[in-house]
Amino acid sequence: MLDLASITEYVPAFLDGFIITAEVSILSILGSFILGILIALMRVSSNRFLNYTSLVYVDLFRNIPFIVLIFFGYYGLPEIGVYMDAFWTGCLVLSIAVGAYVGETIRAGILSVEKGILEAARSFGFSKFQIYAKIILPIALTISVRPLGSVFINLILTTSILSSITLNELTGVSKVIASTTFRPFEVYVFLVIFYGLLTFMISALISLWHRHLNRYLGEEAS
Amino acid sequence: MGYGDEGFTIYDLLLWAEGLGITLWIFILSTVIGLVLGVLIGLVRYYHITILGKLLMIVSESLKNSPVIVQLFLVYFGIPALLQIDMTPNMAAVITLSGNTAAFVAVIVISSIESIDRRQLEAARSFALPKLVILRHIIFPQSLSIAMPMLVSLAINQLQVTSLVSVIGVIDLTRVGDIVNQRTFEPFIVWPLIGLTYFILAKLIAIVGMRLERKFSAYRLVGEL
Repeated sequence: MLDLASITEYVPAFLDGFIITAEVSILSILGSFILGILIALMRVSSNRFLNYTSLVYVDLFRNIPFIVLIFFGYYGLPEIGVYMDAFWTGCLVLSIAVGAYVGETIRAGILSVEKGILEAARSFGFSKFQIYAKIILPIALTISVRPLGSVFINLILTTSILSSITLNELTGVSKVIASTTFRPFEVYVFLVIFYGLLTFMISALISLWHRHLNRYLGEEAS
Repeated sequence: MGYGDEGFTIYDLLLWAEGLGITLWIFILSTVIGLVLGVLIGLVRYYHITILGKLLMIVSESLKNSPVIVQLFLVYFGIPALLQIDMTPNMAAVITLSGNTAAFVAVIVISSIESIDRRQLEAARSFALPKLVILRHIIFPQSLSIAMPMLVSLAINQLQVTSLVSVIGVIDLTRVGDIVNQRTFEPFIVWPLIGLTYFILAKLIAIVGMRLERKFSAYRLVGEL
C-alpha cells in the first residue's frame, strides 16, 4: 500500500516541476496576452492587409495541434540558427499559439463595447489611439476577464505537452517519479487531482475578480 | 551519405497515409463512443439519479480540468499496473479520448437541455405525456439544434487532441511526423506538411459541421413559435 515515507522523498522533485510549470505558464500568459492584444487590434482594423494577416494567423494556430507546433519549433528553430532550450522554446511556441485564442477573445470583447461610447469619445475629439488605449481596450478587457481566464487555464494544462520535448515540468517530473517508484497509477491519479485543484482555484479567483471588475455593469456581465 | 541524410522516399508517403488512417480511426471511434457516453452521463445528471450523477460529475470534472497527456499516461501506464492487465497504446488512446470527449459532451447536453423553454416541458407534463415521449419528441430535437454548434467545435478540438496519443506510442499522424523528422532532419518540410494535414481535416469537419448545423436548425423554429 501507500508508503508515506517514500512519498516525501519525491516532494522536492515534484515542487521543482511545479515551479517550472508556473514559470512557463506566467511567461507564456504574458507573451500570449501581448500578442493577443495586437492580433485583436489587427482583426478589428479597417486596414485590409492587417485584417487578413491576423485572420490567417488565428485560423492557422487554432487548427493545428500544439504538439505539432512545438515539435516544429523544437527541431526547426536550430535549423535556422536559433538555439533555445526546451524552456524558452516552450514559452515562445505557447505564446504564439495561445495568442490566437487570446486575440479572438479580446476581439469579441471589443465588438461588444457599445457603439454609443465610441461616438461619445469621438465627439469629444479623442484621437483614434486615445479611444483604443483609454476607452475601448479597458472596457473590452474588463468584459473579457472570465473568458480570458479559461483560455489561460487551458494554457496551463497545455504546458504538460512540453514534457514531450524533454522539459521537466510537473508532468515530466511525474513521469520520472512514476517509473522509479513503479507506482504509475498513484502518481498519475495524484497528478490529475493536482492539476484539477490548481485550475479550480485559479478559475475561482478569476470569477471573483471578474465579478469585482464588472460590478457596475449590471446582471448580464456578472 | 551519413545517417539522417537519406532524404524522402515513397515509403514516407505510405507512412503518412497510415498515420492519417490511425488518426482518423481514433478520432471517429472516440467521438462516437464519447457522444453516446456523454449523452448518457448528461441524462443521468439531468434526471438527478443522485449518487451515480454525483460520482460521474466528479469524474467528468477531473477529466475536463487535467491535461489529456496525463490522462493518457494514467490509462496506458497506471491502469495496467493497478489491474495487472495488458493494454495496447491504441486501446489506451481510444479509452482516454472517449472518456475525455464524453466529459465535454455531458456538459453540452445539460446546458442545451436546460436552455429549452421550461413552459414547454410543463405543458407536455400537463398533457400527461410519458417521460420518454417528452425526451424523444420535445427535448431531443430542440436540444440537438442548440447543441450542434458546440458539438462541432468540440469535434474540431478533439481532432487536435488526438495528436497527443503519439506520446504513448500510437503511430498516428504526429508520430509519423516525428519518425520521418528524426530520419530526414527536415523539420521545415515535415512539420508544415503534418500541420497542413491537420488543418485540412479540421476544415473538413467544419464544413460537415456547418451542414449538420443548418439541417438541425430547422428544429429550432418549433421552439420560437
